[in-house]
Amino acid sequence: MTDLTPITALGAKTARKETYDALTLSENPELALASLALRRDQTPPSPFGLRLPDPGHCADKGSVAAFWTAPGQWMIEAPGRANEDFAARLEEEVPGGSISEQTDAWTAIEITAKNSAALEALMQKLVNLDPAQIAPGHAARTGLEHMSVYLIRRSETHLAVMGMRSFAAALWHALVTAAARIDQTA
Amino acid sequence: MTRLNGGLVDRGTTLSFAFNGKSYAGHPGDTLASALLANGVQLMGRSFKYHRPRGVFSAGSEEPNAMVELREGARQEPNTRATVTELYDGLIARSQNHLGPLNRDLLAMNDYFAPFFAAGFYYKTFMWPRAFWEKLYEPMIRGAAGLGRLSKQADPDAYDKGFLHCDLLVIGGGAAGLAAALTAGRAGAQVILADEDFRLGGRLLAESHTLDDAPATGWAASVAQELASLPNVRLMTRTTVFGVYDHGVYGAVERVADHLATPGPRVRQSLWRITAKRAVLAAGATERHIPFADNDRPGIMLAGAMRAYANRWATAPTRNAADPVAVFANNDDGHRTALDLMAKGVPVLGVIDPRPDAPRLGDYDLFAGGVIDGTKGRLGLSAIRITQDGRSSWHRCGALGVAGGWNPNVHLASHHRGRPVWEETLLAFVPGTGGPSGLFPAGAAAGKGSTAAALQSGMEAARKALAEIGIAATALSLPDAEDAPIRQAAFWHVPGKRRAWVDFQNDVTVKDIALAHKENMRPVEHLKRWTTLGMATDQGKTANISALAVMAELTDKTIPETGTTIFRPPYTGVSLSVLGGGDTGAHFRPKRLTPTHHWAEEQGAVFVEVGAWMRAQYFPRPGETHWRETVDREAKAVRAGVGLCDVTTLGKVDVQGADAGEFLNRLYSNMMGTLAVGKVRYGLMLREDGHAYDDGTCARLSEDHYVVTTTTANAGPVYRNMEFARQCLWPDLDVQVISTTDAWAQIAVAGPKSRALLERIVDEFDLSNAAFPFMACAEMTVCKGLRARLFRISFSGELAYEIAVPARYGQALMARLMEAGADLGVTPYGTEALGVLRIEKGHAAGAELNGQTTAQMLGLGRMVSQKKDSIGAIMSRREGLAADRRRLVGLTPVDPAATVTPGAHLFAEGAARSMATDQGWITSAAFSPHLGSSIGLGFLEDGETRMGEILVAANPLEGQETRLKVVSAHFIDPEGERLRD
Amino acid sequence: MLIPHPLLGLRDSQEFTYLGDAALMDRPDPAGGNAEAAFTDYVFLRDNPAGVHRELWFHEQGDRSWLVVTRDTVTHEILGAELARDVKLNEEGAQ
Repeated sequence: MTDLTPITALGAKTARKETYDALTLSENPELALASLALRRDQTPPSPFGLRLPDPGHCADKGSVAAFWTAPGQWMIEAPGRANEDFAARLEEEVPGGSISEQTDAWTAIEITAKNSAALEALMQKLVNLDPAQIAPGHAARTGLEHMSVYLIRRSETHLAVMGMRSFAAALWHALVTAAARIDQTA
Repeated sequence: MTRLNGGLVDRGTTLSFAFNGKSYAGHPGDTLASALLANGVQLMGRSFKYHRPRGVFSAGSEEPNAMVELREGARQEPNTRATVTELYDGLIARSQNHLGPLNRDLLAMNDYFAPFFAAGFYYKTFMWPRAFWEKLYEPMIRGAAGLGRLSKQADPDAYDKGFLHCDLLVIGGGAAGLAAALTAGRAGAQVILADEDFRLGGRLLAESHTLDDAPATGWAASVAQELASLPNVRLMTRTTVFGVYDHGVYGAVERVADHLATPGPRVRQSLWRITAKRAVLAAGATERHIPFADNDRPGIMLAGAMRAYANRWATAPTRNAADPVAVFANNDDGHRTALDLMAKGVPVLGVIDPRPDAPRLGDYDLFAGGVIDGTKGRLGLSAIRITQDGRSSWHRCGALGVAGGWNPNVHLASHHRGRPVWEETLLAFVPGTGGPSGLFPAGAAAGKGSTAAALQSGMEAARKALAEIGIAATALSLPDAEDAPIRQAAFWHVPGKRRAWVDFQNDVTVKDIALAHKENMRPVEHLKRWTTLGMATDQGKTANISALAVMAELTDKTIPETGTTIFRPPYTGVSLSVLGGGDTGAHFRPKRLTPTHHWAEEQGAVFVEVGAWMRAQYFPRPGETHWRETVDREAKAVRAGVGLCDVTTLGKVDVQGADAGEFLNRLYSNMMGTLAVGKVRYGLMLREDGHAYDDGTCARLSEDHYVVTTTTANAGPVYRNMEFARQCLWPDLDVQVISTTDAWAQIAVAGPKSRALLERIVDEFDLSNAAFPFMACAEMTVCKGLRARLFRISFSGELAYEIAVPARYGQALMARLMEAGADLGVTPYGTEALGVLRIEKGHAAGAELNGQTTAQMLGLGRMVSQKKDSIGAIMSRREGLAADRRRLVGLTPVDPAATVTPGAHLFAEGAARSMATDQGWITSAAFSPHLGSSIGLGFLEDGETRMGEILVAANPLEGQETRLKVVSAHFIDPEGERLRD
Repeated sequence: MLIPHPLLGLRDSQEFTYLGDAALMDRPDPAGGNAEAAFTDYVFLRDNPAGVHRELWFHEQGDRSWLVVTRDTVTHEILGAELARDVKLNEEGAQ
């Protein structure tokens, strides 16, 4: 284990977490990510026993999850394993695939809500997606305040927003500003 | 304050407010206009051009007259319509567009010069003498122009935006809109009902109608209640849908906190982008007036507005039996004003109706076949002149309602260049075809203005719209409602010699239209611009159709032949603040921070914006008084020892697949497929037109895995081009690309002592020149097991490396390198020193790769492989580019104290300064601490053969002329020995 | 505007970057006899019809697919959208 101390995308030693009545936002720095793209004519594999989701969807199985990112391309998620070389583990699972380490390319902010209405009210302020496109089990990439983000709807009351790591501070600011205002009107 | 009986104001609560410094009281449910009327205030403002006294004219957003400066300080907002300003406790408003008190406006003298201000007066008057325009006319006009005053302070409130999606958007919450929303809501469709008012009901709130023999307001309230209880319906009051955009996208402004003194923690307004599968336009209708002599005095208003004030707001402009209310109507509907006012105990003079066969609908005096052709009253109406059967008589009169028929609010249906069509039976334009698809007009907006017709058409529009998207909605059981036929005369104005106003806001009279006609400004577009008809904040909602009728009469054409101008968004004014949606100041765009940003902040770095990135520009130390001092120190430290620079911002793309090498061969002008694993190669990309595009490095990590870098600025576009090449040009290649820019923190470790420093952090890795030579790369570990990528590449010309680690460790790695290299003099450097170092080394950057230069010009002509095709290769060989003789050179000043200025053009000594003698230009310059003078890079005709020649750099913009000597672009170590050492 | 993404359904046009005429997919043969002239046409000449136009849109803030969108430039009506990759592979398959 290296003797260097990592920092979160927001620049701290520990993850940030803030609650606004019905909404709780938590930085999830321990999430490992690796992209998987199929080679030409490669049969879609089932890494870690996971069936890779269809376009616009996400899926999880046990300790890993995945969401569709592009034709023939997925992001594989492994909670709590950010300090491992997760891309290398995935390569062992999917020999011959095109795999790239993405753990630190993205900052994941997990948003949990007391009810789905609060979560949807927040999304209405941030992204121009039809609610059906981001219903539970769906994932989408879109623009949010001029930033490119992934939204993964993990459940009715749980949404992950992933932004490029360099935009972490701006993304957090955008999310908490909107969350605080939702709170005022909810 | 006195009120009539009934109404929808909450008399249990009193709100105090101030108008022109005087305190008044009103109730929740009031608008500023209704509260002022209830307090007996009729005079609310002055007109734009003539400064005529004006009172409230309407009861809605079409208001041309009653505009005020609302609030104080930074929140002061000019041209706010009193008719839609919800009263709140502590409201402060002032009238506008007058000099001195409202009742004695010194600018009212403009009225005496009215002939001078006739239509087109700007164009006629201020033409001559020419020189007077800038010095006199324009400042004078600007001083007098406009209505209210801006606060000239920053807006203190927050605004935001949002996005909504629905099956059916219902625009307008009157009878038709409520029926449509209820039909759709009960069918389970996702519905948004938006209304600009703060209470749902539309005209039902303003009329005395009954539904199923009960007050219509009760029905409206119960429907609103049911809609509010449906989870699939979103009610948006105080929300104006102002425009229709392609494919069912609607723009709307929600006035979240305009009805409060201050927004508190809320936003003031929200901008909504609504994506609706279908929409119902139930925006109602706007009453028009009938121009007659001196028809603009306070107290003269639309008859329907007068009913609204009486029925909804329980107020009338006069209660005095000696000064009764009169109604001037060319249609039956106007007579109802007399009936409603009488029912409320307001004294009524009678109804003047130009129709000889006008019906008497109640117990009031009827002047059938009569007109009003004169009024009196300096600050408010005191008398009217009625002419009937050739006899005229003056009558005391406190207020006058004018009813000229109703114009359907076709605006949104006429966006996308939809043209409304004339409906002769209604004497009005109704929505035509060719407007926005998926938008269904209903109710009064579609010319179905009786309550029964509105309810029915609202329901039908919803059912029809939903059927198109596969939602079956059952019919409502609609309440019994009035269904009076529309009976009106095509009576458009009362001819006469005195001024008869058509457009109150712009002071356009019937005479002005006649003058425009005489001067051949007859097409509606010309009429509009010549007279200013229909411009400004109300966009002529109460004026345009009457004006068309007058012009049609003058040209002997029909109204539809005369036509309307094009309808465009917004329906009513939208503030720029809310259109910005909060994207102001630091919120204009998000910032990207490098992995070492916080560390650099702690070091006191000065940052510079590079695109969205914030990069450390330089790291001043205590005692350094000028940025140059800092930058010189940093640049020298690199060449003498070792420096560190965060270069994460360069784009990084993982390119993988069996054909990755072939793919890169086609993207880069030089050969990449032959690159050995563990090696890096400098690469130059061309645009397909043959010009140089972007440069970077390709590192081959394994047989089918490359990592390529792009410049910071082109990271996005180059990635886009890679996807274009992969998907659109050569989809048969087995290649996958993904950006990894943010995943890795990359730090340049540059300088003769860089190897010594890195040796202290790598885990058992042989960094010797033999084992890891120039242009080597490797995946390895540092700092006891941290995975890293090491590239031996150099931008400075020194022995140098770039090391990449997972971004979360970037800051710790930087700190470790600083600590480990303390005895080596390790120095962090910023983008300024980076620039100095690369100019000294003659490396091209953005100023040289500016889209106008070629590989040959950059001295990289031999990189464009002749053995293979690549993007831009063919076109780079075309005559125009291949013949370009300009080459990258270095430039030093003959006088060492002189400065080399980028942008200056190069000329032979003694040559004229002209395009024909232009020899090239200077792209980049810096002070070189190693040469002790200013140096520059530039493109020069036949540059490579002109070493030692003296030229002149001319910068005529700043009057500079500098003598420069042509030298090699490689000021430092031209043989490249240092970086291979 | 809304772009009917063949995999993801209707998506707001702000997620996309516009490039233009889909003829840009037909890069000339660099080994062809008159390559320079062909490339000159390819790089500089475009049809600009008032009416139905096949054009390239990149789903930049989305799945990074290049789409061939058929659009009426007069009415903005969108008549269809396909993955550019499929279009190109089909063309090549047909040859």
